[in-house]
Amino acid sequence: MGNNPVFAVTVFFICFRECLETTVVVSVLLAFLKQTLGGGEDQKMYKRLVKQVWLGCGLGLFACLAVGGGMIGAFYSLGTDTFSSTEDIWEGVLGIIASLIITIMGAALLRVSKLQDKWRVKLAKALEHEHNPNETRKGRFKRWMEKYVMFMLPFITVLREGLEAVVYIGGVGLGLPASSFPLAVFCGLLAGVAVGYIIYRGGRETSMQIFLIISTCFLYLVAGGLFSRAVWYFQNNAWNHVIGGDASETGSGPGSYDISQSIWHVNCCNPEVGGGGGWGIFNALLGWTNSATIGSVLAYNFYWICVMIGYGLMLWRERKGPLPYLDPVVHKVVNAKGRAKAFVFRTPWDQPTTAGPAHASGAVMEYGVLQTEKGAVAGPSTAIWQSSV
Amino acid sequence: MVTSAAGLLVRLVAALCFFQYVQAKTVTYDFNVTWVTANPDGLYDRKVVGINGQWPLPVIEVDKGDQLVVNMHNGLGDKRASIHFHGMFQNGTNEMDGPSMVTQCPVSPGSSITYNFTVNQNGTYWYHCHTDYCYPDGYRQALIVHDKDAYFNDMYDEEYAITMSDWYHEMIEDITFIDKSNPTGAEPIPNAFLFNDTLNSSLSVEPGKTYLLRLINVGAFVAQYFYIEDHTFKIVEIDGVYTDATEASILYISVAQRYSVLVTMKNSTEKNYPIVTVADSQLLDTIPSDLRLNHTNWLEYNKTAAHPQATITVADASDLIPFDDMSLVPHDRMELLPEADLVIDLTVYMENLDNGADYALLNNISYTRPKVPTLFTVMSAGELATNSEVYGDYTHPMVLGHNQVVEIILNNGDGGSHPFHLHGHNFQLINRAPAYGEHFYDYADGDPVAYDPSNHTAFPKYPARRDTFVLPPQGYFVIRFVADNPGVWFFHCHIDWHLQQGLGMTLIEAPLQIQERLTIPQNHYDVCEASGVQSKGNAAGNTVDYLDLSGQNKQVAWLPAGFTAKGIVAMVFSCVSAFLGMAFISVYGASGIKMANKKRKTEKAAAEGSASTDS
Repeated sequence: MGNNPVFAVTVFFICFRECLETTVVVSVLLAFLKQTLGGGEDQKMYKRLVKQVWLGCGLGLFACLAVGGGMIGAFYSLGTDTFSSTEDIWEGVLGIIASLIITIMGAALLRVSKLQDKWRVKLAKALEHEHNPNETRKGRFKRWMEKYVMFMLPFITVLREGLEAVVYIGGVGLGLPASSFPLAVFCGLLAGVAVGYIIYRGGRETSMQIFLIISTCFLYLVAGGLFSRAVWYFQNNAWNHVIGGDASETGSGPGSYDISQSIWHVNCCNPEVGGGGGWGIFNALLGWTNSATIGSVLAYNFYWICVMIGYGLMLWRERKGPLPYLDPVVHKVVNAKGRAKAFVFRTPWDQPTTAGPAHASGAVMEYGVLQTEKGAVAGPSTAIWQSSV
Repeated sequence: MVTSAAGLLVRLVAALCFFQYVQAKTVTYDFNVTWVTANPDGLYDRKVVGINGQWPLPVIEVDKGDQLVVNMHNGLGDKRASIHFHGMFQNGTNEMDGPSMVTQCPVSPGSSITYNFTVNQNGTYWYHCHTDYCYPDGYRQALIVHDKDAYFNDMYDEEYAITMSDWYHEMIEDITFIDKSNPTGAEPIPNAFLFNDTLNSSLSVEPGKTYLLRLINVGAFVAQYFYIEDHTFKIVEIDGVYTDATEASILYISVAQRYSVLVTMKNSTEKNYPIVTVADSQLLDTIPSDLRLNHTNWLEYNKTAAHPQATITVADASDLIPFDDMSLVPHDRMELLPEADLVIDLTVYMENLDNGADYALLNNISYTRPKVPTLFTVMSAGELATNSEVYGDYTHPMVLGHNQVVEIILNNGDGGSHPFHLHGHNFQLINRAPAYGEHFYDYADGDPVAYDPSNHTAFPKYPARRDTFVLPPQGYFVIRFVADNPGVWFFHCHIDWHLQQGLGMTLIEAPLQIQERLTIPQNHYDVCEASGVQSKGNAAGNTVDYLDLSGQNKQVAWLPAGFTAKGIVAMVFSCVSAFLGMAFISVYGASGIKMANKKRKTEKAAAEGSASTDS
């Protein structure tokens, strides 16, 4: 992963993505409030609700910082040294995880406008109960929840996205030096808020999408590099076992790599030695290595071929409808995942939805959104289109 | 009166010499070489090369002037062999020298070879196998040439021959060494160090007597420091060359080197004194915790007294300051040879080649065996024998003119020390830096220091001579000798691992004189036939055109630097797939714009529709 001591690229993207999602949610809420109550008649109510939204955000952020700090502290007290004997395996595994996360995130980023749809649906659902408060049996807790929905939604969202970010960063960043975090986190948050704000302002969606395309391409370059590096690390680990030591002890010269696996090797520009300098950044962004192996080159190309197939399938299904064999399977998986997720996060919300038959389509829609969010490479997203059209 | 006595003495000596000359006898050894089992260190039973079912091997002992005949039958069954009589000049009998593919063909299992030569030398030598890796499996022992006329004969009462050796538990062929898994070329670490092929032994001595100890390092890799607690000794011989008796207390004996020292015993029998050998741990890349570097054997004055372990006073072997062999003066007072007619300037390198394994090179050549033993090429090449091309590019051949003064400058581009041995000669030690002593490792950490002919310490007037000389880490040495012994002589590092890595070269000395003087016996041709090695032709085995070397054995190619064709192809493919992938992403992303636009339109239409229904 190129231990760049200043800027952890993966951390940046994780922060960016999570922050963007949060911002989108908040902006949808604010826009909704403005649309419904901003007209003038009920200024007091409007202000109170806006306050609720911001309060939810703030408290969510605070809670997630507290919990997240604890988690990261726990990660680090475990200590990277615990893993140093198997450092290469560790870096390889983390590389693959990070690469998958970025890949999935990247796909979601391209459809970030759908996030707005998703949250509009959610908001609608939440408010439906207000319209129909006495229809079903419910306790004080539920009434309280509904009263403060404008607080709970941003609070839960911020908390959830924030914790997600913490978990990802904790996992991905364990192999990285702690000094590379702050700047990356800060920039990620800033970029996320900036993009979110542009979306909120309803900025020019075309240029927005171009921006997203470019940043997604960039993301995939990083992910491809990470994937290739992961395989490289596995091979390096095997090589270290063969020579019975740490290959980087021999510097970047002969003996630091397995000649029979080598595709190219230049005795310079080693991103592993001495912080790597510019090559370390080059390595982190594009997966550059001064010593490419058959495995790492194949992995890089394989990654891109998978990306092409994945996007090809998504494109095909967006234009021509569900895929014959893939979709049923994917749908099953996604349903299971959705149920699990609902169980973990949204029990208070989802129970009422499933109670009445009227909300069945809403549930399907939600799974559809979920699909775009988490299963982009597998590419199932028609559900939402079919159900929302 | 005095003169007449002296004259009588001279005449007596002359008569004795003549008598001896007439008496020069033929000493014959029949060696049936087979595998036997031995456990010299008490740690591990292993297969070793035995002679006539015995190990330790018999010491060859001859008198100066004797004819030595060794009939060797290779009964190993699975391994080729030969015998090199280390230090023997083999003047006129180059084919009896022993190194496979240099002066003879390897003796394949089931074959026999006869070595037959006159020993016109004196002193301490040894014999060992010189084919592939065969001597570290135990195939080495002392060879002593007694000399009735040695100047120190009346200075000692008895003599002992002492061999020192490193010892491996694994069969050498089973040790992975030249391999990509060992890119640093780390030499295999011995499992033990032997003293007279055993441990904890005693030399029984009598008080007041003087003993001649012949010390021989018959190891394959590790040099030994040698000293005796509370005793000093006088060096009288190094590598068969008598020196003025010189007091010393610590010796550094690299593999293949020999020292003869006179030790006078104390007059008391109260105590036994440790003879201490300390392995040169600087040569070892790692020191396993169970490897004993220091060993104690004893000068046993009194069998019943205690045999105390040596007190080691230094933390590291390199803290011992050994006697500098360059400061010895040869007893025959041979003067420094004049300026050389031929200077051979060499540098030792250790490098990874294209298969990822570490190799040793002299300049840019890693010695690679020819297809025809070089001596046989000399014998069959006719006039072309003076053209070094016929000996191949990778045997590193150098043709020396008859009676030229030859100077070899050997620089060390490597951080380890290398005991270099020249067959067929001993050579004058003209210069070396750093000298033995506390500064010996001074150059090891910086850049290598090369010999500068215009700026060096003064050459000695009577340089010491020997046949194996230690090249300091990243330093240099300079030696001179006269090419007065026609033959094909191997010049190589005597660390057997390094020799296998190619740290050697071939000197073809006076090839036309070789052709005149030498007759290779039929038996040696039979050996070639039995082992399937050509006995005619150039290094590539070409018997028609000696200058056509196509098909010669080559050293492994150089490691490619940077991008090769496959690297460029891989890079291009990676770039293409990355761009194609990004194209897919862009198309998918751009389709999002269309959808968004479409959606907005439908929304607008719907809003308008609902608005109109409202109104």
